[in-house]
Amino acid sequence: MSTPALLEVRGLTKEYPGVRALAGVDLDVRHGEVHCLVGPNGAGKSTLIKCISGVVDPTEGTILLDGESIAGGSPSAAIGRGVATIYQELDLVADLSVTDNIFLGHEFRRRGLLDRARMRRETTELLRRVGHESIAPTTRVSDLRPAGQQVVSIARSLSHEVRLLIMDEPSAILDDSEIETLFDVVRRLTAEGVGVVYISHRLDEISRIGDRVTVLREGATVVSGLPASTPADELVTHMVGSSFEQLFPERAVGGGRVLLEVRGLQRLPDVKPASFELHAGEVLGIAGLVGAGRSELLRALYGVDRRDAGEVIIDGEALPAGRPDRAIAAGMGLAPEDRKSQALLLEWDLVKNVTLPDVARFQRGVIRVRAEREAVQTQLDALHTTPSDGSRRARELSGGNQQKVVLARWLLKECKVLLLDEPTRGVDVGAKAELFRIVTDLAREGLGVIVVSSEIEELRGLCTRILVMREGELVAELDAAEASELDVLRHAMPGTQQMVTSGASESDAPGKEA
Amino acid sequence: MSKYLRLVALVVPMVLLAAACSDDDDGGGASSDTTEAADSGGGSGETVTIVASVPPTDHGWLGQIAVKAQEAADSHDDVEFRLLEAADADSQAAQIETVINEKPDVIVILPQDGDQLTPIAERAMEAGIPVVNVDRLFATPEAARATILGDNYAIGVNAATYLAEELDCQGNVVEIQGIAGISVTTDRSAGFSDTLTELCGDGIEIVAQQPGDFTADLGLEVMEAILQANDQIDAVYTHDDDMAEGVVAAIENAGREDEMILTGVGGSCAAFDRIEAGGLYAATYLYSPTMAGSAVNMARLIALGQGLSDLIEPEVPSRIVVPPTEVTADNVDDLRDLCFE
Amino acid sequence: MSTTSTDAHTAGERSWRLALPSTMRLQEYTLVGVIVALLVAGTILKPDTFLTTDNVRAMLTQASVVGVLAIGMTFVIATSGIDLSVGSIVAAAGVAGGLVIDSGAWAFFLVCFGFALLLGTVNATAIAVGRVVPFIATLAMLAIARGLALQMSDKRPISLISSEPVRWFGTGEIIGQPVSIWIFLAVTVVGWILLNRTRYGRHVVSVGGNREAARIAGVPVRRTVFSVYCLSGLLAGLAAILLSGRLASASPVSGELLELDAIGATVIGGTSLAGGRATIVGTFMGVVVFAMIFNLLTQLDLATEWQQIVKGVIILAAVLIQRPERI
Repeated sequence: MSTPALLEVRGLTKEYPGVRALAGVDLDVRHGEVHCLVGPNGAGKSTLIKCISGVVDPTEGTILLDGESIAGGSPSAAIGRGVATIYQELDLVADLSVTDNIFLGHEFRRRGLLDRARMRRETTELLRRVGHESIAPTTRVSDLRPAGQQVVSIARSLSHEVRLLIMDEPSAILDDSEIETLFDVVRRLTAEGVGVVYISHRLDEISRIGDRVTVLREGATVVSGLPASTPADELVTHMVGSSFEQLFPERAVGGGRVLLEVRGLQRLPDVKPASFELHAGEVLGIAGLVGAGRSELLRALYGVDRRDAGEVIIDGEALPAGRPDRAIAAGMGLAPEDRKSQALLLEWDLVKNVTLPDVARFQRGVIRVRAEREAVQTQLDALHTTPSDGSRRARELSGGNQQKVVLARWLLKECKVLLLDEPTRGVDVGAKAELFRIVTDLAREGLGVIVVSSEIEELRGLCTRILVMREGELVAELDAAEASELDVLRHAMPGTQQMVTSGASESDAPGKEA
Repeated sequence: MSKYLRLVALVVPMVLLAAACSDDDDGGGASSDTTEAADSGGGSGETVTIVASVPPTDHGWLGQIAVKAQEAADSHDDVEFRLLEAADADSQAAQIETVINEKPDVIVILPQDGDQLTPIAERAMEAGIPVVNVDRLFATPEAARATILGDNYAIGVNAATYLAEELDCQGNVVEIQGIAGISVTTDRSAGFSDTLTELCGDGIEIVAQQPGDFTADLGLEVMEAILQANDQIDAVYTHDDDMAEGVVAAIENAGREDEMILTGVGGSCAAFDRIEAGGLYAATYLYSPTMAGSAVNMARLIALGQGLSDLIEPEVPSRIVVPPTEVTADNVDDLRDLCFE
Repeated sequence: MSTTSTDAHTAGERSWRLALPSTMRLQEYTLVGVIVALLVAGTILKPDTFLTTDNVRAMLTQASVVGVLAIGMTFVIATSGIDLSVGSIVAAAGVAGGLVIDSGAWAFFLVCFGFALLLGTVNATAIAVGRVVPFIATLAMLAIARGLALQMSDKRPISLISSEPVRWFGTGEIIGQPVSIWIFLAVTVVGWILLNRTRYGRHVVSVGGNREAARIAGVPVRRTVFSVYCLSGLLAGLAAILLSGRLASASPVSGELLELDAIGATVIGGTSLAGGRATIVGTFMGVVVFAMIFNLLTQLDLATEWQQIVKGVIILAAVLIQRPERI
């Protein structure tokens, strides 16, 4: 406690016209510590880090870095002082190589020309530091998966001298093994004396990586400097006033008629022949590592990507390949992995976003705008979307609320089979609980829901059954109520390098265990 | 838009040229050192190769340039003739460069821009290929063996003289010009305004001077706005008969055809018809595309080493200036054969 | 998108919106400002001849050809496409119609529309089926259609002076106003309804805004892209009729650079070249601004080089003022 703080934030407020984003935040980060920052979406975490990294000027309050005031600077000044920030939205240039991205804006030059050889060497070194030397410096960033891009982003922040590293949900797009690598990097940096501010919605990470925790709610510090060992339950209570167990509603039981029948569905090389059934009233989970082909399976099933072979039969009706419009007409709906690039028109208002697949129902000659708005409003209100005003642009909403807009779309369409790809990514704890409740309610009303998620805990709490995918293949079917996290992981990991020690030798063969 | 077109127009002739070069051996080998002074009828037995290079022939007058040149070539059995179009000055220079390598007997050039194409014409002359320059003058006399051209300044002078007389040196005149910044436009405009000032002093005012780019659409649009701006217009001097069609449409659409008279330049049959019918369209000035035919005939005579039949000199003169014949209701019938479609 | 301006908000919301108008609204305000500025300038500089009924009529008549093209262009650009070929299609359609004028005016109209639609369909096929980049596909059509116009006409304008019905489109009046103004207004109104009040319009804008999201939401992306180039071609046919009527002839060299005016008017109106945002009202005002600039500068008898400079500066200023705000 006697060590002088690396970062000291006192009484920070930030007001926008009509909105108070921060209302008195206190925070102190020590040298070599991982300080976790948690709070529901809209609690002010993003604004806080924008103030620290010089993107916005606070209205009031002080920010001291090693005793020196840094409030009101510019982002480049903050970088110069050793404050590096990795944002949730990766700000990489997709068409440039890894090296070009890392050195963008501070390229090495030699006799006026770019010193490409040196930059490539440095890139290799940086990637080695984060444990990903397997990424070639010349790879185009668009050819990397989100997890790889995250790694490049971290490597880029290390290309400057860093005293304080701010990470905004770095693990959101990583799978478990990659998270472990990330933690290694973080630990190595803290050993060098770097202070880390770590924002995450995954409370289980806090005890694994963090030293202390600060909880924000509604723009203010609720508790600051709790030990990282604080039980998740207690943190949730601080955040939303409800406890962890209450996150999951009573499980959907399933057991209705067969709604969806998938036979030999394949799209090589991502999806090897897969067959399964989905019943009315059931929530079916699909687990697996990043890259196991889960999203690809959903996309082929829905028709966004054309399947090579196999049949998809919904309520007795066979669907043609590569025709999402026919899938929708037959009662299917997809909430894709990346809401911003695959589901929403961010500049459009909520009303138009919701009615896009089914606007014809409001058209009698011309679209009856009032009826459209009222119908959408009903759905948005029922899902407790905030803001609920249908004329707001989709861009203005938080992740959880954007997800509700996508759900509202398919509820309005009265779909029978709902496909949810990573529905809780970038969604805060409070909103997650709400989404779980909505999904369970829908299943209870007779819908069939398929959920793809990287968070095994979530699938265990929410689903009726869990299918496990590994390297493009469906390898196991488990009863969600009985399966442990270990069971799921055991099937999901590729055969040779079993990270899970106990029980690894047990039946690993594909088969039904439930 | 014409830029994009030019891209295409540039590529296509190049390909054709390349094809023509590869299987045209005799064109390069045939020399024309006919020393005997043959009769004007020709018939020397030798074949004369003539290549003409002109701007895109998508405009009425330029279109007729191509037609008249081809007609003249077809009238001789001993002429092998090819006409090439080039989209702009650069591609025309490149085109002529290729032609020089083919070693034709004579090259006829109507340059996009006389100044810009002077060096390449000089190169042809140095390579021993006589150049006949049509319409737009090269910058130096060494660039052409012979030149045939109209007199753009004189067109302006004649139109001004005509209008000064018709208006008794009193009134408001509008000038609808060609493409801004090229010598044809500048000369036609300068001859007009110089002469008006000389003849009438301040009596006639040029109330508007706008380019119509030789196209009917722009002629129409510009004239529509000018009609709105000016209550009284006594005469319109247009630089081109085709463009004048748009100007006439604007005036007639506004119902003001009785208020003014109009003159054109070129000699299109449509203009002849209007002049004959009387009314708005009072006169045009021949700037006849037949000069392209004459140029081909001159080229042939140069290759054969002959002079013009009724001239005593044994060689073709180095410069022929075609006067801008005035066409009015009085003589339109007599000149009918000279108009072009 | 312009519909948001008419959507009702709660009272509290409204004051917030006035303080920080959305981009779209700001853009429309800007053009209203430009129009007012031009009106004021015109009234001061040409008090007797600018703001007169006759001249307003003349400006709108002049705007009608570009205007009809620009409405079609708005749909194309909304899908994040571009159509460079409309000017050439105007010439080709007019000439094609002119070839059959001896069979009567109806033959002219039919062939004019039919040929323009055919060329538009070729664009659409190349882009939606052949997956050629719109810029390249329509650039090729720009050359092809111009070539066809020259070839079919033998490089000569075709006189339509004897056809009263064709002339009517240039000189006729309905309720005391020129026919071409009525047609321009009608196309604008129908375009507005189509874009803002039909499923088709939603599909068009969604395809430009986020093609993947549109596909996942079941929008027939290819069919939608296909249709906008057909629409643009069809409107080029209509523009050809308006232009032929006024010129009383069909010229193979007409319509040059019209596509640039149409694109320019659409973009200063606030439709995003990147797609996903389109406004018919903005396009209409953009067309009117262009027509006013041309009319005023010509009336002032400004030398052509100054006209070009002034026009360029006004376009740049309009686009600068209305560029999207980034926080």
